[in-house]
Amino acid sequence: MSRLRGAVVRATAFRPTAAEAIAGVVLALLLVAALWPNLLAPGDPLAVSRAEAFRPPSPAHLFGTDESGRDIYTRVVHGAAESLRIGVLATAIGIGLATVLGFVAGLGPRWLDFGTTRLVEVLFAFPGLLLALLFIVVTGPGVLSSTIAVGLATAPGYARIIRSQVRRTAAAEFVEAARVLGRGRFWIITRHVLPNVTAALFVLATLGLGQAVIWVSSLSYLGLGAVPPAAEWGAMLAAGRTYIANFWWMTFFPGLAIVASAAAATVVGRGIQKRNRSAA
Amino acid sequence: MPSRRFSRPRAAVVVTAAVALLLAACSPGGGTPGEPSGEPVEGGTLTYASGDAEPSCLDPHVGGNYPQALIATQYLESLVSLDESGEVIPWLATEWQEGDDGLSWEFTLREDVQFTDGTPFDAEAVAANIAHVQDPATASSTGYLALAKIENVVAVEDHLVRLELSMPDSALLESLSQIWVAMESPKALERSQEENCAAPVGTGPFVVDEWERQDSVTLVRNDDYTSPPADVPADAGTGLPYLDTIVWRFIPDSASRYAALQSGEAQVIDNAQPDTIRSAESDEAIQELDAPRPGAANRIELNSGKAPFDDERVREAFVRSVNVDEGIESLFFGTAERSYSPLSSVEPLGLSLPELFTVDTDAAAALLDEAGWTERDADGYRVKDGKRLTLDFPVSTNQSIPAEQSLFEQIQADAKEAGFEVRLHPLDLSSWYGALAENDYDLVSAPYTKVGPDVLRVLYHSDSIEPAPSGYFANLAQVDDPALDDLLTRASATSDPDARQSLYEQAQRIILEGYHVLPLYDQQNHFLHSSTVQGLRAMPTVSTPTFAEAWLAS
Repeated sequence: MSRLRGAVVRATAFRPTAAEAIAGVVLALLLVAALWPNLLAPGDPLAVSRAEAFRPPSPAHLFGTDESGRDIYTRVVHGAAESLRIGVLATAIGIGLATVLGFVAGLGPRWLDFGTTRLVEVLFAFPGLLLALLFIVVTGPGVLSSTIAVGLATAPGYARIIRSQVRRTAAAEFVEAARVLGRGRFWIITRHVLPNVTAALFVLATLGLGQAVIWVSSLSYLGLGAVPPAAEWGAMLAAGRTYIANFWWMTFFPGLAIVASAAAATVVGRGIQKRNRSAA
Repeated sequence: MPSRRFSRPRAAVVVTAAVALLLAACSPGGGTPGEPSGEPVEGGTLTYASGDAEPSCLDPHVGGNYPQALIATQYLESLVSLDESGEVIPWLATEWQEGDDGLSWEFTLREDVQFTDGTPFDAEAVAANIAHVQDPATASSTGYLALAKIENVVAVEDHLVRLELSMPDSALLESLSQIWVAMESPKALERSQEENCAAPVGTGPFVVDEWERQDSVTLVRNDDYTSPPADVPADAGTGLPYLDTIVWRFIPDSASRYAALQSGEAQVIDNAQPDTIRSAESDEAIQELDAPRPGAANRIELNSGKAPFDDERVREAFVRSVNVDEGIESLFFGTAERSYSPLSSVEPLGLSLPELFTVDTDAAAALLDEAGWTERDADGYRVKDGKRLTLDFPVSTNQSIPAEQSLFEQIQADAKEAGFEVRLHPLDLSSWYGALAENDYDLVSAPYTKVGPDVLRVLYHSDSIEPAPSGYFANLAQVDDPALDDLLTRASATSDPDARQSLYEQAQRIILEGYHVLPLYDQQNHFLHSSTVQGLRAMPTVSTPTFAEAWLAS
């Protein structure tokens, strides 16, 4: 664990670039929006007000209103919870699955390594979104299945990286030394290999979060995830699309939220990655 | 980025010009644009962009829905048609005579008409077509129900055919005017269903040339066209049609469809969105054709075939707790008017009872209490015997335009206040049919187009709870009322206009007062087209546009 802590300490000691600072603020805001949405937007994201339909952005409605007079700012803020929760869950499923696969391949006997690696390679041959769509076709649309679908679809990519990380660590001299000292396999994995892989995992997860948010929104946009009138960014984008010729704000702000969160997660992830590398 | 907004003040000149244009474009009939200006131009290719679901079969005998009717109007023709005032006029049949007992009808047919495969149009052809519609293997729904009373077809002479009925049918001529029972080449009908679906052969102004699935159907000019309906001026008859080719494209996304019209990629689009209709009003390059469909109004059916809507009090409570008027106002930008009738506003016999549909949430709450839905759970929904008051509402994303889907979301929000949990399920067309077949719905909105008030018999007679050969059943409200059945049966057998009107009025009263339906508005049928398209009109039968007399101004 010391190495991870070190990386984090070193990262904070570094002076962040302007882009990283903004990205950090965006992520912090998103976190607040996801955990305590009422702090930022006390209204009800589903409250219909027919008399106020199609209002352009104004001080009363910062992001304007949609076709049923619902406040888009409130919906974007409350949508953060939905989009991020799905994004975090999907990433967790992806990385969790990848960790198991990666460790099995990296530490198991040769034939097991061969088997899992080939499996991962076959899955890798499919574009990720296609894999997710395939899963949804089998299980039927919905929030849960789109979350699992994105998680499954991202797993092969992570598994490959984790496997190589595991193998490199397992071949390191200090692991060799531990083995010579007669430490058990389990002790070596938990005390030596895992901590060394965790730092990489942390970066992967941050980068993956941005990607997962985009994928989950894409699936909702296609009508395969959250259903109307849920305040989910992809679903809002899909609903606003019809009116894009006349009411640009209905697509602009949910779109902005997706872009901003994905970009922020990527910038922060890359920042940590860069520092890890230079520190190593 | 927005190209134009309605509220933006524009030069007064432009507004005046637009108003003048609008007035010119709206004739009282509603279905026809202004007189074509100038001499018709021959030739050219017109692109039509459709937002309806792509038909799985181009032969409207099979199944029988509106997307099929739209395209089939260009290549198939019927025995009779209607004129602007709704009178039945000759088409492929020149005259007809009802027998004294009302049980037999004789039709004299045109002698100079050939199908585009060279087969002559005659009495045998009529018999083959009716047999095709009635054959269970065809899996017809709309046409099958429309011709249900025809028992026997006799080819008396080459061009004289007699239809023998099981009971008198006052709606027979109206039924026969519909494209779903149009005449196809008997030789072509002998092919496999798959082949006939890909390229039906008719007598119409265009011929199906090629069908590239998921993209477009190409229709080419019928050079030997001779048979327009009787309301087309005789002097126009020889040169028709003017267009060489129609490319019938499928563009499901409404914003892309409108963009295609604006860029000139398409000249005509259907299913125009309310906000774009409004913004096109100020655009001189774009004109509107508004052709409300006949038959039923767009309505939400309340499934009385199972709990909780088997209790009339719960149905009334639902209807009383949702505010539809304001939603229609804001979502449709004044392009749709609220309906209080099961029938379309173009049906003269429609009965409108607005007082039944005033919103009254107190009355709704009292009715629910009375019906035993007294408790509320943590989410605010009403509960009875530990069961939540839940309503499943499958929504066909192919048939309900986005504005209508938004209206359903608003209804969901209103119903929640009253304690109903409405679960919206957006579905593609085949999953939607599946949900209906499984009786897996409490609310549903299903368009149904048929000429004349006989549509009430199709929709609300208990016989229609039985599925047609296609598997579809039309009585989605599952109204099962012997008194209503009796009224509808008698009405469809009565040719006396006064008696017929009175019977249909009583029938509609039962349907409305039993809270079986929540009427919304006429079936919306808005087309936008480039001003270069001239001579486009909607058929007075089922309001599909016809390109028989259309031409492209240079």
